[in-house]
Order: sequence, then structure tokens, then C-alpha cells
Amino acid sequence: MAELLQFTITGLTVGMVYALIALGFVLVWKSSGVANLALGQLVLLFSWFTYGMLVQAGLPIWVGFIAVIIFAVLLGWIIERFILRPLIAQPILSLITITLGLAYFIEGLVVFVWPASVAALPRLFPVEPFHIGPAVVSQQYLWAAIISLALFGLLSLFFRYHKMGIAMRATADDQRAVQACGIPVTRIFSRSWMFACVLAAVGGVLMSSIGGITFGLVGTGLKAFSVVILGGLDSFLGAMIAGPIIGLAENLGEGYLTPLTWPGVRDVIPFIIIIIVMFVKPYGLFGEERIERI
Amino acid sequence: MDLPAGTRNYTYAQDMAIFRTKTHWTLLIGLLVVLCTAPLWWGNWLSVANLIGITIIAATGLNILTGYCGQLSIGHAGFIAVGAYTSAILTERFGLPFPVGLISAGVVAGLVGMFFGMPSLRVKGFYLAIATIAAQFIIVWVIKQWTDVTGGHMGMSVSAPALGGLVLKSDSSQFYLIGGIAVLSIFFAKNLARTRVGRAFVAIRDNDLAAEVMGISLFRYKLIAFFIGCFFAGIAGSLFAHWARFISDEFFPLTDSILYIGMIIIGGLGTTTGPIFGAIFIGLIKHSLTHYLVPTLESSAIALPAGFASGLAPMVFGLIIILFLILEPRGLAHRWQLFKAAYRLWPFSY
Repeated sequence: MAELLQFTITGLTVGMVYALIALGFVLVWKSSGVANLALGQLVLLFSWFTYGMLVQAGLPIWVGFIAVIIFAVLLGWIIERFILRPLIAQPILSLITITLGLAYFIEGLVVFVWPASVAALPRLFPVEPFHIGPAVVSQQYLWAAIISLALFGLLSLFFRYHKMGIAMRATADDQRAVQACGIPVTRIFSRSWMFACVLAAVGGVLMSSIGGITFGLVGTGLKAFSVVILGGLDSFLGAMIAGPIIGLAENLGEGYLTPLTWPGVRDVIPFIIIIIVMFVKPYGLFGEERIERI
Repeated sequence: MDLPAGTRNYTYAQDMAIFRTKTHWTLLIGLLVVLCTAPLWWGNWLSVANLIGITIIAATGLNILTGYCGQLSIGHAGFIAVGAYTSAILTERFGLPFPVGLISAGVVAGLVGMFFGMPSLRVKGFYLAIATIAAQFIIVWVIKQWTDVTGGHMGMSVSAPALGGLVLKSDSSQFYLIGGIAVLSIFFAKNLARTRVGRAFVAIRDNDLAAEVMGISLFRYKLIAFFIGCFFAGIAGSLFAHWARFISDEFFPLTDSILYIGMIIIGGLGTTTGPIFGAIFIGLIKHSLTHYLVPTLESSAIALPAGFASGLAPMVFGLIIILFLILEPRGLAHRWQLFKAAYRLWPFSY
């Protein structure tokens, strides 16, 4: 029982972080129709950059975080302006492939700048574990969940009330109508990439504060894809609900399926979920089913 | 545009001919002579040529699937792995002859590809990309963990290919095998594009709804595309296993799948020459980076960062893919067409 509770809590909390990263994907997809397959590599890059700021440059934690956020915003702007802007109105195949090229480039860049394969961030959260009933959960998980939930809250308020947020939702709804209203669509694209990068950075820091910085962080980004597939590509709510489900499935699977199958089953469960969802309900739980016309 | 001015076709056979003019034939015979005598004078480049040949086969398969039929597959390295392991297991564990292993590698990889391609009937674009990424990870995970059969992380050593009593041990003898199969697969791909099936693929790529309305069965043709594309991947995998003599799960990473997509983009999507250009281009860059540039820089006085050697290649490839997509999305094949047109009209190129 304690075991089950333990798996459930860690699964749900890690799932929140996946949902956070997935939110960045949904944001870009909704506003500009670009599928960002470089998500995992971005998560890895930001984690290493945080390491560079906090450990290598020795900055205090708050200054370091501000530097990371600034870097994320800047990178988001660069990616949109110089890589995706020239490809506006190109077929989806090119858009997907260019983010793959970006993913490849970032992977090389990370190895280039930080050749060590493993590193640990300085301790960001208190060490003492929490006791919830019979389960023992380390505080990092809870903080990760709290920060993710707080960001969800902030983002939904932003989309509900802020002018930019409303403009972004409008762009997601109908690009041409928005353009006709005089809203600069390219600026919306650029903002959505900045948001996505910041979310990836926060997600990366949270994940690496839990498990250290390894190459497995790319896998974290890839798991965000299973979140968006399960939740539906164009649904914020879907991402928030599917994230914990994926986290839960992964942790319960690791706990109870490993003896039955092979080690490492944790890392494939999200992909198996993807395949099952594709067969059963390809547009996800909350995704909008597109009816196409010739 | 395809034929020089003044060349007219009087029969259907002439119209269909791949090698039409005297220049074509001269170039073809010249190329065949060069290829047949290559083992005599290419030296160390022969192993590079073999690897590029294997890559051409795989890229041709991906080009049929992605370039002609428009179904993006980011799991090509996974399907190659299926072929490599099928062939290795059949020949090593069951002692079957190499040709059986080769063909069954293609068939098994094709069937696995068909399974993972099934979502393509309901979804496309990004969804399919993710489904094939999932295929890549599931396949590599199974290979890594199913240690009784695949050897897992320790890998598996594979014997040299044997045709009848003839064992092809050296790079030069394998060059003929790989080269022959590469030429056959290019020929097959070229002709496939001109058949009913190939034209159905193109129709599906350009607008699948319109294609369905015209009476093309999407179910059938998409699965055929997945089968053929992954069949080629399987053949390439089998050849790779028997050429490298050793395979492990680490030989088939996701980045390779990305690189295959990059190759057909660089070469030119939906053209026969595209995969050839792309595979040669990437293969030569890879070889010169790892064998020439890095050792030269290392031996010079400049101190290199520790990650230089391993990080440089992905950065360069990523940059090449991005730049090609922005600057020349139609790839090298298009540049080749432009060159031919300019050459024919020279010096009056208006």
C-alpha cells in the first residue's frame, strides 16, 4: 500500500512537469502550426545552461535563474526569427524536419560545450523528505508539482485576461482573421516560441533537480509528446490532465511491470501509450477532430 | 526540359527509356567501368563507399515512403535495426544461408514497418512523426533488453556474407554485393515511381483526400509504401550487419533516423537521384569530419575543447539540414537539374 501511494505521488508530480513542458509544445502548435520536435533537446540545453550559470559561473541561485530565463527568451526569439520565419507557409513536412535539424544541432552543441555526460545541479529545495501517510516523498517532487501548478495558474490567467494572451488565443483560432484585425501574427509566433522555451527551461530545471542532468532529459522532452498525443494536440486542458496520467502510468509501470518484463520499461511506456492512442483515439482525449475538405 | 534540344521520341520505348541519348550511355558505361574497377584503385575509400552504398539503399527506401508517398518516418534507423538483427539471428543462430537472411530481413522489417505505419491511415503529419519515433524507441528497447536472442548491450558478432560457397570477406568483394544491390534498388525505385503504384503514392502525397476520391485505396497504398520503404531499410540493415560484422543496440540511434530524413531533404525529396546525392554528401562529410578535420586540428597546436570531436558532427549535420530547408528545399537534385539545363544551353543560356 505504501508502495502504491509512493508510486502514485511521484508519478503525479513528475507528470505535472511533463505537462508543463508539453504546454510549451501546445502553445507553439496552436499559434503557428509548427510541431516542435526539438523539445527534448531544448530541455537538455536549458538544464546544462543552468548548470553552467549556477555551478560553472558560480552565480547565486536567483541571479542564475534570471539568466536562464533571459537566455530562454532570447533563444526562443532566435529560433523563431531565423529558423522558422523563413519557412512560414511551407508544408508540414519541412516544418517538422527543420525542428529535427534544430534538435540535432542542439544535441551537438550540448556535447560541444559540456562534454561531461552527467552533472548535478546545486540543491535547490530542502532535503528532508515528506511523509504522506505511509509514503515517503522527497521534497523536490512536491516543489516541482507546486511550481508547475503555479505556472499553469499564471498561464491560464494570462490567456484569460492579458491582451497578448487573448491575441495568442485568437491567432490559434484563426490566423487570417487575426491578421485582418491588425495583430502582428509573426510577433505572436515569436512570443509563443519564447513561452515554449521558458517552459522547457523551467521543466528542465525541475527535472534535473530531481534526477540530475543526464542525456535522459531528452527522453523527458520526448515524453512530453506522449502527453500532447494523449491529451490532444490543441488542448491546454488535455496537456494538464494527460501529463499526470503519463507520469502515473510510467511510475506504476516501473513498479509493477519491471519484474514481468525487462528493466527500463519505464522509458518505453509513454511510447507504447502513443501507439495505443493512435490506434484507438488518434486525436487524443480533448483534441479537436479536424474534418478536412478538399 | 529533360531532354537536350532536338532529341525527339518517336516510340513509347524511347519515351520510357531512362538512358536516352548517347551522352547518357557514355556516362553510364563510364560510371560502370569506374565502379567495377573501384576495388583496384580506391584503397581505403572502399569501406567508405560500402557504407555509403548501404546508406543509399536505406535512403532510397525512405524516399519512397516520405518523398513519394509523403508519410514521414522518423524511425528509419529502428527499421534498419530490425533488418540487421533478423539477418544476424537467422544466419548466426539458425545457420541459414545469407541470401535467406537478406530477404527475410527485408520482409520482417517491412512487416514491422507496416504495423507501425498503420496509424497513418487515420492520422498524418506530426502524429505520424511521433508514431514512428515511438517505433524507433520501442524497437531499440526490445533489442537492448531481449538479451537471449539479440545479445543486448553486449552486441552480436556476425559472420561475413556467403553466396553459395563464396565468402565475401574483404571490403572489395563486398563492394560488388553492396554496389549491385544498391544499383538494383535505385533501378527499382526509379521504375516504381512510373508505375500505377508510384503515381498513386504521389497522388496521396499531394492530397490524400483527393486521391481517395479518385479511387485510390489509402489503406492499401499507404501500407504498401510502408512495406517497401521498410523493406529497403531491412535489406540495408542486413548488409550493414554483415559488413560491420558486429551490431549492438547503440548502432541505431534516433539521430541516425533524423540524419536519413536530412539526407533525402538534402538530396531532394521525391526524386530518384536525391537519396544518392544526399547519402554521398552526408557520407563524405561524416568521413572527412572524423578522419581528416578532427585529427588535423588535434595534431595542430590549437587546444580543442573536450567535446569538439563528438559534438562537431551533430552540429554540422543539424546546421546543414536547417540551411538546406531554408535555402534550397528542393535539394541537390534540383541543383543538378539546373546545372544540366545550363550545360545544354551553354554558352547561350537565356
